[in-house]
Amino acid sequence: MLTTNSTILVLTALNALAGGFFLLTAFALIASRQSLACLKAFIIQSLLLAMSALLLGYQNASVSLLIVGGITIVSKVVLIPWLFLGTLAHELRTRREITQVFSITISLLISLVLVIFAYFIAVTLLGASPKQEATINLPIGLAGLFLGAYAITVRREAVPQVIGILAMENGAFFAGISIAPDFPLIAELAVAFDVLLIARIMGVLTMKVHQHTGTTAVGEMAVLREE
Amino acid sequence: MELIYILIIPLVCAGLSAMPTKRRWYPALITVIGTLLAFIEASRVALEVSSVTEVVAIKGWVSCDALGALLLLLISFVALTSAIFSWGFTGKVIAQNRPERVGRYYRRFNLFVFSMLAVPVLSQIALVWIAVELTTLLSVFLVSFPNTSEAFEAAWKFAVLTCMGAGLALFGILILYWGVTVSGGETFTWSGLVEAAPKMPPALLQTAFLFILIGFGTKAGLAPLHTWLPGVYSQTPSPVCALMSGVETSTALYAIIRLAPAVHGIHGGFPEQWMLVFGLLSVGLAAFLLIQVKEYKRLFAFSTIEHMGIILVAVGLSGAGAYFGASYQLLTHAITKSFCFFAAGATLRLTGSREIVSVRGLIRKSPFVGVSLFLGALAISGAPPFAVFMSELVILKSGISNGQYFSVGLLALFVVVAFCAIMFHVSHMVFGKVTDHSQVSALPRSYAIGIGLAAIPVCLFGVYIPGPLLNLLHLAATLLGR
Amino acid sequence: MAQRILLNILQVLTVMAFAPLVRGVLNRLKERILSQRGPSIFQPYLDIWKLFHKDEVVSEHSSWIFRVTPYIVFVTPIFVTMLIPVLTSYPLFLAFMADMLGGGFILALGGFFTALAAIDTVNPYGPMGASRTRMVGFLAEPVFMIVFFTVSFVAGSTIPYIVQQHWVTPMANFFQPAHVLVMLSFLMLIIAETGSIPVDSPSGHFELAMVDESKVLEYSGRGAALMKWGSSMKSFVLFCIFLNVLVSPWGLASGQTISDALLAVPLILLKIMGLVLALVVIESSLAKLRLFRIPEFLGAAFVTSVAAVITKLMEI
Repeated sequence: MLTTNSTILVLTALNALAGGFFLLTAFALIASRQSLACLKAFIIQSLLLAMSALLLGYQNASVSLLIVGGITIVSKVVLIPWLFLGTLAHELRTRREITQVFSITISLLISLVLVIFAYFIAVTLLGASPKQEATINLPIGLAGLFLGAYAITVRREAVPQVIGILAMENGAFFAGISIAPDFPLIAELAVAFDVLLIARIMGVLTMKVHQHTGTTAVGEMAVLREE
Repeated sequence: MELIYILIIPLVCAGLSAMPTKRRWYPALITVIGTLLAFIEASRVALEVSSVTEVVAIKGWVSCDALGALLLLLISFVALTSAIFSWGFTGKVIAQNRPERVGRYYRRFNLFVFSMLAVPVLSQIALVWIAVELTTLLSVFLVSFPNTSEAFEAAWKFAVLTCMGAGLALFGILILYWGVTVSGGETFTWSGLVEAAPKMPPALLQTAFLFILIGFGTKAGLAPLHTWLPGVYSQTPSPVCALMSGVETSTALYAIIRLAPAVHGIHGGFPEQWMLVFGLLSVGLAAFLLIQVKEYKRLFAFSTIEHMGIILVAVGLSGAGAYFGASYQLLTHAITKSFCFFAAGATLRLTGSREIVSVRGLIRKSPFVGVSLFLGALAISGAPPFAVFMSELVILKSGISNGQYFSVGLLALFVVVAFCAIMFHVSHMVFGKVTDHSQVSALPRSYAIGIGLAAIPVCLFGVYIPGPLLNLLHLAATLLGR
Repeated sequence: MAQRILLNILQVLTVMAFAPLVRGVLNRLKERILSQRGPSIFQPYLDIWKLFHKDEVVSEHSSWIFRVTPYIVFVTPIFVTMLIPVLTSYPLFLAFMADMLGGGFILALGGFFTALAAIDTVNPYGPMGASRTRMVGFLAEPVFMIVFFTVSFVAGSTIPYIVQQHWVTPMANFFQPAHVLVMLSFLMLIIAETGSIPVDSPSGHFELAMVDESKVLEYSGRGAALMKWGSSMKSFVLFCIFLNVLVSPWGLASGQTISDALLAVPLILLKIMGLVLALVVIESSLAKLRLFRIPEFLGAAFVTSVAAVITKLMEI
């Protein structure tokens, strides 16, 4: 009995650790200076998401969470980078520094504020609901969601924006595996497909934007700006 | 079974129109037939719903109630007129570009229609999210279809912003699911949600609602996240614009207002307050931006933002009359706005210019296009006796009878400002002095048929609504007020 | 009592004796990774020995600060040694005097005087290095603070001996994100504070690019020897805090006898060698950052430590 108890403690701590690193990768998405670094941070983040899903699945003996972990690895760790490298190899390999609206230090400080904001939302939610399980996933997932949205807003370059979208999805699911562990599996599969579709379509769109405008600095496109 | 057919038909059409062929009318014909079939099926569903209140194809997964049937009907109708209109549009494409693009256009068109039809038909909320997300993803390349750098810019902003919104909405839906499981709910469908809602912790419901409101609100074009919308509508091909503005925004809004019965009354009407604030903000912003607009397709784009705001305000006002007004406004906006974009498309085809200032005296160049543009402007800006006037009147009236004078007063003010702005611009376009005397190109016959077909409900529904449809609207209103 | 004092002396002697060795191993390994032979690992001892036997030249324009600084630099790490667990897992005779925060302040005192002394002489490179160190330092300071706060928040204490026990009782505590993240950010701090790549390149001989080294250029003879010895002891102490308090609280003597403590000496050396290996790998796989990128490096450390606090908060 004692051993199983301590195993559960270690598993919880490991899950929390995945959460901590998940948060760090979300920061890395904002702080990184090159597209490839962004993609790498995203892959690590997806791995951590899968790891957390597998840990929680093992802990709660939930098959659907184990499957979610598997789906995440297949779609986000293997297929998405493959799709990106297929369509955007050139874009990813450029060593050019990608810029932001703010300097990285300011961005990091704003992100910290967002994380604290996410924390307060999560506390309210957790306080309101009776069930308390793997509570760390909710605030961190929410923070991941916000940081992804922030990355989309401040990045001027195409690839980091797309990765920001995918990171938002990651954040939502990082929270989801703890608050909605038996989410309909068909929906999980459909979301995985949807994420692949995002990667594919946005990849092609980026390529075409590059062909037609000669740049992928989408933040600088302002022909349509008025009022 | 009709519901399943409705989903299958556009998929089959997409497959058929993707087949390589030399005849450029072949995919166009397939699409027109397909959308016609879908429209017929949707009408049957609507008829059935108006008598038995709900059609179920697969229990818990595919079903359709009055609100869904209303949306289904609107989507399939706009898809039909838009498919007819597209015939002439692709005729132009073929003249300039490669023939294989026509097949590509229709494949995307059908997939886009499929994704929109899936929204009201699916009853699992999680799947509805995916369907809404698909409407974005499958319309991205329709937006960028003109292959200009402006079109790509528009498509990019559209895709990124709406996907960002979808991410927020996904989180909201996960919280909703959490709430449903916590309160012991069985199914994660719209009706299951309404059943579980009273037992759900209000904080969860409220947070989920806010996330979904902001997330899907981005896609519905609600201020302040509407920034992608005008650019997209100015660049997208007009038949696609008609679909996007008439019904795609409505599908996103549908996902928001379906929450209304679940969140009704929590925290002292907190969600209603938010809907009112966002709605009024959108209406007001759109009304004042309408004044300085420079392109006529943008004019109708801002008008879309305005109408989305009006529907949200109507739901936020709450009360049987306001709910009826909201579903009525959904109907009138869809039919009128698609008609407006067809007229705008015809104008663009005739004059080749998007600018308001360079189009003058349209009625002398082409009486048909001039009249339809003017008619569309009158109808969309809410002049009597058109349908939009009626629906707006219903909303204002119910708001006054509820005693919400402040919101109603603001709404009325904004609507009047928008009316003046639209009529000012369009009357200049239609009646102004002809400045350039260049020969206008001929209008394809399919344009005339499409505009003619779209004009029927626009002119009719202000004075007469068929009994079953009225019944459907009342049913939808009761669903919202449940 | 005498036993305790003896243990304390042993602890200080360990630090004094082995600090140059760690520096020597570090230098040697760095060279080996670049496929060069490198100096002997005992080279720092020889340097210090040689410097002690040389005449000292002191600028007549300098004030007392310049003269006093080497002694302060030499003494402060020794003070800190008495506060922290180097060999034993139980507090020693003088450990009650200050907690980790106090230790941090004492170490900072040495840094402060070094900077003053660098400005004191009129050598143009000194103030430059001093201002750069201050820049790194004042950015590192908040991180230090947050790290200490996190540690005390998580472990419920700022006394290193209590903190060190907290991580392993129960074992799950070790895997807490707060702990791992604090380790990470402390490692980044050590890199910044000991002036290694990517913050500074200690083996560079180009004065304009120097951050840390240029401050001691003016010293010669005994002063230089003390500065060298002192700074290597400071690194040693930081390593000890990092390893014994944060990373691996194992292998410390728990018995009260001298022999137990003596047995712990090779173990702590082994751990430090492991850390040195890791540092060398980090150093040789990264490039030196541009000076104005250093704030971002420390910003990353700051964010990591704040993330540690937040994850701890979030475990509700």
